[in-house]
Amino acid sequence: MLEWIGLLPAFPLAGFLALVLTRGSLPRRIAGLIGVGSIGLSFLLAALVSIEFLGSGLDSHTQPLWTWMSVGTFTPGFSFYLDGLTVVMLLIISGVGFLIHLYSTGFMADDPGFARFFAYMNLFVASMLVLVLADNLVLLYLGWEGVGLCSYLLIGFWYDNPANGYAARKAFVVTRVGDTSMAIGLFLLFQQLGTLNIQEILTLAPQQWSEGQGMAVAAAALLLGGAVGKSAQLPLQTWLPDAMAGPTPISALIHAATMVTAGVYLIARTHILFELAPSVQLLVAFVGLATLLMAGFTALTQRDIKRILAYSTISQIGYMFLALGVGAWSAAIFHLMTHAFFKALLFLAAGTVILSLHHEHDIFRMGDMRRKLPVAFWSFVIGSAALTALPFTSGFYSKDEILLAALAHPQYGMLLWLGGVLGAFMTALYSFRLVFVVFFGRDNYQEHASHDTHHVSSAIREETGIAMALPLLILGVLSLFGGLIHVPVDAVFAHAGAHEETHPSQLIHTVMILVPIFGVMISYLLYGSRPYEKAGQHLRTQILNSPLGRFLNRFWFSGWGMDALYNFVFVKPFLALAQFNRRDVIDQFYTALAELARISNRALVLTQTGYLRWYAISLVGGLVLVIGIGVWA
Amino acid sequence: MTFDQMMLLLPLIIVTATPVITMLMVAVKRSHAVSCILTASGLLLALLSLLIVVRYPLQEVTPLLQVDNFNIFCTALILLAALAVTLFSYPYLCNLEDHQDEFYLLIAIATLGALVMVSSTHFITAFLGMETLSVCLYGMIAYPLHREATAQYPMEASIKYLVLSAVSSGFVLFGVALLYAQTGTLHFNDISVGITQGIADGPGSEYFVVASLLIITGFAFKLSLVPFHLWTPDVYEGAPLPATAFLATVGKVAMAALMMRFLSVSGVLDSPAIINVLTVIGVLSILGGNLLALLQANLKRLLSYSSIAHMGYLLIALMTIDSAITGDGSLGGEAVSFYLTAYVIMSLGAFGVMMVVSDSAHERDHIGHYQGLFWRDPWLAVIFTAMLLSLAGIPLTVGFIGKFYIFSVGVETAQWGPLAAMVIGSGIGLFYYLRIVYRMITPLDYDDPLPVAGIRDVISHGILLVLLVALVVLGVVPGGLMLLLESVVQSL
Repeated sequence: MLEWIGLLPAFPLAGFLALVLTRGSLPRRIAGLIGVGSIGLSFLLAALVSIEFLGSGLDSHTQPLWTWMSVGTFTPGFSFYLDGLTVVMLLIISGVGFLIHLYSTGFMADDPGFARFFAYMNLFVASMLVLVLADNLVLLYLGWEGVGLCSYLLIGFWYDNPANGYAARKAFVVTRVGDTSMAIGLFLLFQQLGTLNIQEILTLAPQQWSEGQGMAVAAAALLLGGAVGKSAQLPLQTWLPDAMAGPTPISALIHAATMVTAGVYLIARTHILFELAPSVQLLVAFVGLATLLMAGFTALTQRDIKRILAYSTISQIGYMFLALGVGAWSAAIFHLMTHAFFKALLFLAAGTVILSLHHEHDIFRMGDMRRKLPVAFWSFVIGSAALTALPFTSGFYSKDEILLAALAHPQYGMLLWLGGVLGAFMTALYSFRLVFVVFFGRDNYQEHASHDTHHVSSAIREETGIAMALPLLILGVLSLFGGLIHVPVDAVFAHAGAHEETHPSQLIHTVMILVPIFGVMISYLLYGSRPYEKAGQHLRTQILNSPLGRFLNRFWFSGWGMDALYNFVFVKPFLALAQFNRRDVIDQFYTALAELARISNRALVLTQTGYLRWYAISLVGGLVLVIGIGVWA
Repeated sequence: MTFDQMMLLLPLIIVTATPVITMLMVAVKRSHAVSCILTASGLLLALLSLLIVVRYPLQEVTPLLQVDNFNIFCTALILLAALAVTLFSYPYLCNLEDHQDEFYLLIAIATLGALVMVSSTHFITAFLGMETLSVCLYGMIAYPLHREATAQYPMEASIKYLVLSAVSSGFVLFGVALLYAQTGTLHFNDISVGITQGIADGPGSEYFVVASLLIITGFAFKLSLVPFHLWTPDVYEGAPLPATAFLATVGKVAMAALMMRFLSVSGVLDSPAIINVLTVIGVLSILGGNLLALLQANLKRLLSYSSIAHMGYLLIALMTIDSAITGDGSLGGEAVSFYLTAYVIMSLGAFGVMMVVSDSAHERDHIGHYQGLFWRDPWLAVIFTAMLLSLAGIPLTVGFIGKFYIFSVGVETAQWGPLAAMVIGSGIGLFYYLRIVYRMITPLDYDDPLPVAGIRDVISHGILLVLLVALVVLGVVPGGLMLLLESVVQSL
């Protein structure tokens, strides 16, 4: 079975090709079957491979796929590499990916671009599978760029609206900044170590570099740049909220199974490099901490249901980075997995809400939906509970591990832990704000609808066929009990040395359990409680109307003004420069080259006279020239 | 000559018998189809006979002919190309207002000449082969002679080729005579020994250099290397398409193989003077060929200029095949063999597409004829595009691997000048190849109906499909052919 892992990305790739080459001429049933079936096959194979691999007790397995050519000593080839980390990623990508695909058959049922949608989704999953299976960084980079391309295509899926195209372009350009950093990192690694095979790098690096040496720091920092771009961490997080322009299943796929997890995967995969560069590793932790706090505060002020979830993703990835930064590799992967479950659940449930409410995104135009949309409601409750890390949900276990690991950090343990706990409090606050506003309170949707002639006929009907309900159900179960799964990555991070068992005091545990509950209660008081509805509303208006509150609200709502800042610092100067350089100075050089070629062509054509006598004499002249060079040169 | 040796010459014997039998058939009854089938089956039989040949111990058959793995490989390549041209010729010649049968006779005899060239390790056979090939080519180029409307160009092209080819043969003969005067041998293998002795007690090394350069000049003419290239576009353009395709594939392979054998064993490459000359010729060919092709609108001429450049690339590897230079020289030999294979595939494909849309009365050889081909005949457009991309050396095509091979040989032997020319040339090349692709995508605003593919075009389209598959397969998984070539070259 293990020798078949080459087929894992091949199935979705074949699906992509089939859907693209038929150019939407297939009937929807068939197109859906191809799109979902290909991922299903991948998942099935991934499951079988995982069972065999985990049962075999092997540490890793390398499967050579193809040697392109061998010229002299140059033999570029492809191999896939399988270990515990890969297995976890494979199952998440293909499993959660499959559920999202299944859900999409319902969600996208009426969309004219049905086949195109599944084609892109298949390519997306295929790229992501290549990314995690790659045994060398070039192949990984191929998957990395494939993911970038597909995210561009999918975010701009509804390209009729220029705003969506803009969002897609933004995602592409911003992640490109990170990709460039990563590419330079690859060049550096190749130049220094002479190989791009990941396992060879991980063996060679500790031999050639001592801890904290300049080159190691540079390599790790450059890779971190790539990871930060893909995983939407500070300072390259600005693309993710705008990526909501795509259809909701895309958001689920980007946020849960693919794309944003790629950065976490990259760092975990090359963790030895980061251990060699403690300063960069610490930077990872603080990037994570800053991001999770910033995104948490921002999520609290958003009105768009998908934007709230987007900022929550940024925040949760921040936790993963925090874990990576303190060397809790397996905790990061654990949280990656549980996050995949509950974030997919939340997005798909949000998709149901949005679809049922005719593409309404504003949470303050919803309200009291718990009876009208019961499936979405329960999904949201479960998902938010896991996201908030309420006890015994999956998120509880993973976040717990991360926070304990952060506390164990020798220098900044307390600081990191406190930040993390504050983030957990914010998480509880914003996620249950969402739940209370959307599913409890007054029904603002019908009110608006009655004012709005467009919505006259828009009765609310929960859109859940079996294709949409089943994924929600499975993901709900996984979100609740996924914490019991043990991620089989011990062997991968074995050499890292088990963190010395810390025994935090009872107080620490109690705090970690109580803080989220406390957050839920506050948000209940502010947004959810009937008895104190007046008081809650009063309190809210008071906070919002105080000068500080108004400022913070606006500041956080705009994502800490990052977009404006980048616009001012990068976009405006760039446009000005482009304006200034309208007649492209550098282009002149190439124009001159082309002109040179054209002139040479005209001159040479003059020799083609067509006269036999000239040709004959040129033969003789050529001979004289040749002998002249041969004898005198 | 023993029986074993006879068996080794089986392909030559079969190809010799083919025109005789065809001629007898023509004497009994003229039939275009029968002549074509007879010739094609003769070539196919010769190809199959290689399966028998490899069962016998490979050896020198008389001092004149050498049968080894390299020879078998080149024979197979030439027979395949000749077979393809034969089959392409049938639909092309169908509406010729003249007898078609003799064209197949000429193809068969020309193929015989080419086969002799690649088997020879002796100047007698080498010269014999070259002349057999050339004399047939004069006839093939001038073949549509009795058609008033189109007679002018073939005749002109043929006369030009006749005169210039004769001049170049004179150069070769003069060089061979000088070499013989110095070494007393016409056998390639003995030349290097003879040279050392000759230089010791003869008239000195300049004498030998001049002799070698005369021979190389003659070879360079046939490979149309700058500055001996001026005939190429006129002959390519004037000749009927099957003759052009034959000249561009079989002619080039035979000449390159002969030159490779000569250079690898004769010790000529030990002389720095000759390396200098070859370097200059290579650089000039790469730059000149590509620059000349830049704005060319006639596809036959364009491909002729591009062939000049491609032979220039080939020369980079050809210069390294002497064992004294690269250790064992096998990498250079592999590169040459691979590149020749690639070149045959790409050229046959490109000319094949042109032959499919042309016939003897109306050749579509102008770039404008192919405007909008993507919308008029997507299948042909895809094949043409693949061939052009391969000629330009885009990855995942066989052309890329060939170019890469040559490039790595150049890097290993530190030929920075030719490599720089190769990079610049490939850049220029991209422009004119992609220009054709661009024209094929641009829609055509008037009606120019292409000939409808009928039953007799089935074989042509089949060959194109085979070429396309070969182009992609060898571009994606070239490992098998590379291994094969490794053993082929070791036999040199």
